[in-house]
Amino acid sequence: MLELIDVHTYYGNIQALKGISIHVEPGEVVTLIGSNGAGKTTTLRTIQGLLRPRQGKILFEGQDLSSSSSPEIVRLGIAQSPEGRMIFPRMTVLENLEMGAFHRQDKAGIQADMERVFTLFPRLQERIKQKGGTLSGGEQQMLAIARALMARPRLLLLDEPSMGLAPMLVNQIFSIIHEISDQGTTILLVEQNARMALTVANRGYVLQTGEIVLTGSAKELQVNETVRKAYLGEE
Amino acid sequence: MQNFWKALRASSILGAIGAVTVLLFGGWSSAVMGWLLGTAAGYTNSHDGLWPKPKIGAQMGAKTGLILGIWLAVASLVEGLIVRPLSGQTAISFPQALQYGLLGLVMAVVWSTVMSTIQSLTDPVQRRRMTWLLMALFLVVFPMVDQRAATGWIATVIQILIFAMLALGLNITVGYAGLLDLGYAAFFAIGAYTTGMLSSPHLGIEWNFWIVIWIAAAVAAIAGLVLGSPTLPLRGDYLAIVTLGFGEIVPIVFRNLTAIRIVEPISGLFATLLNRPELAICLVGCEEPLNLTNGEAGINPIGRPSLPFLGTFRSDNYLPWYYLVLLLVVFSVFMINRLRVSRLGRAWTAIREDELAASAMGINRVNVKLLAFAMGATFAGFAGAFYASYITAIFPSVFDFSVSVIILCMVILGGLGNMAGVLLGCVIIMGADRLFLPQLAQVLKGFLNTTVLPNIANPALRDFLAISFDPIQMRLFLFGLVLVVMMIVRPEGLVPSARRKAELRSEDPVVNESLADVRSV
Repeated sequence: MLELIDVHTYYGNIQALKGISIHVEPGEVVTLIGSNGAGKTTTLRTIQGLLRPRQGKILFEGQDLSSSSSPEIVRLGIAQSPEGRMIFPRMTVLENLEMGAFHRQDKAGIQADMERVFTLFPRLQERIKQKGGTLSGGEQQMLAIARALMARPRLLLLDEPSMGLAPMLVNQIFSIIHEISDQGTTILLVEQNARMALTVANRGYVLQTGEIVLTGSAKELQVNETVRKAYLGEE
Repeated sequence: MQNFWKALRASSILGAIGAVTVLLFGGWSSAVMGWLLGTAAGYTNSHDGLWPKPKIGAQMGAKTGLILGIWLAVASLVEGLIVRPLSGQTAISFPQALQYGLLGLVMAVVWSTVMSTIQSLTDPVQRRRMTWLLMALFLVVFPMVDQRAATGWIATVIQILIFAMLALGLNITVGYAGLLDLGYAAFFAIGAYTTGMLSSPHLGIEWNFWIVIWIAAAVAAIAGLVLGSPTLPLRGDYLAIVTLGFGEIVPIVFRNLTAIRIVEPISGLFATLLNRPELAICLVGCEEPLNLTNGEAGINPIGRPSLPFLGTFRSDNYLPWYYLVLLLVVFSVFMINRLRVSRLGRAWTAIREDELAASAMGINRVNVKLLAFAMGATFAGFAGAFYASYITAIFPSVFDFSVSVIILCMVILGGLGNMAGVLLGCVIIMGADRLFLPQLAQVLKGFLNTTVLPNIANPALRDFLAISFDPIQMRLFLFGLVLVVMMIVRPEGLVPSARRKAELRSEDPVVNESLADVRSV
């Protein structure tokens, strides 16, 4: 479904991605784990068209994305819940969700998705008139994911959904991610919390300073020596 | 008793404004102010359906109007019997002054009661409809009242309405899309010069105003795109500086487009290389260089609009001009309101809130930002076309930096992103600048000449006093003072949009929380 082939991305002169290749199959949950500065967010931004790869190819269902603009990419079916949530703080929850469906014209479909999102996140329905900035951290994260779902993506990019959340909320968010996946949306999940990520993912990639150093099924990675030491904090 | 205090508070600010106006202008201005401020008082002290029943609303309105009217009546008497003789104007008799004052009082009571009653209607649709109706009536009959009352404010009101259009346009760029534009007067200039070039004997092109005004708006919109494109990657301070530069360049370009000769470049190159000037194929300004804008002397005269039955608009009859500019403002308000709630309007808000998140939502930030500049500029184009045709002469010096700043101040004073606020800010600033200060200067001068100066023996002191009390000289100082006070006391503007208010009122715990949240990330 999604394939990155030898993608190099730079911030000015600084190379953030040193030729990474990953692929995501339909229906999968694939996770990208790694420490700070490994290039996880850069990878997602490159896929979304917010950054341009200097070299390499990004294929989505066979179509090359490397020269498409982000609005085109959203229209093709890729939506992102960005790092740090980046909800619109002075818009209401409802307006935020409507922004997620910005490129869509089908009123009935948008309404249906709105209802689907409220079943997934009943908390948001309670706060529908509230300003995004007044929500708690967990609710903002829910809103960010819900907003991305409003684009009715076939591929959902999640950037650090557990960031800054209490452990109980992290569990809740991950069970919702599981549910979204069960409903048929393919997910590319970027996480620092490798333990949680590997419990929901089918496969994973380990990213280190802009390179893929390890790949395998979630089960394999969970028992891998390096991963256990570096990312799961086990001896 | 409590109601009395409420009424007093509601009418004190308006009463003071009315009293000052009457003290300066005198005559029937008290009646006009009674009408205007009575309506305003009736609106402000009872909107949001404060009072449950129309009957109570009417009673409150009458009380408020009465207090307001007393301000006006007292001011009328003081003006007629004390201020006038002291400032060297002919005094008027007591009955006459009383008559002025009483009419003001009656007008204040009547209109305050009417507006209050409407505001306390329980059906919101009916309430809104009646309010609009009353406001429309107000705007339509204003010139007649102005004429009957001999206040002579209509010329200023036309100026106010021109700037209202400009402020509304700038509000799109700055208020909705959050792009700080310090060179907005450039678009005003482009609209005015387009009109000047296309409907003046200066270039021999004299097209009809009704066509030219659309061309002017279109040219201004294109200029908006031209300015917008290099500023796309810029934000905040940097954007402000680029727009500032654009605002400086445009009047200078118009000042210098006086001798244009354009040669077809390839033949021109050969002509230079071979040193044979006759080879160059001349395209523009062949016989003599083309004088496009007439430099500092400006373009004059510029054609005026004409209508069947009415004929060509004349400079001594303000009525058609007033209705035309009113129509343009109403059209702008309508269009901008539609834009605000459209997809584009929502995209502007999203871009202002968070550009990166907005583009991750699939908003094309390039187009959205360009359109914010272009749409803002369009309304400046309309204003420029009207202005050029109304004044019938344009000069580059009219469109300098201070104009951009004044328009920006209107937007900020009234409340960024809120149309009613922007219009109010425009009325306050332009009213103070074009109506109050000149009249104040005149009255003060009369007062000095007849009352103060003859009683001062020392000639040096007399000379000093004679030259130093000129409010017109102090207008920029007063203006700056108001802005400084505003920014400290009420940074969100007089009538803030709900969003802006949340943004700027930092003691609001809810917003603090969200900011802390953003920081921790």
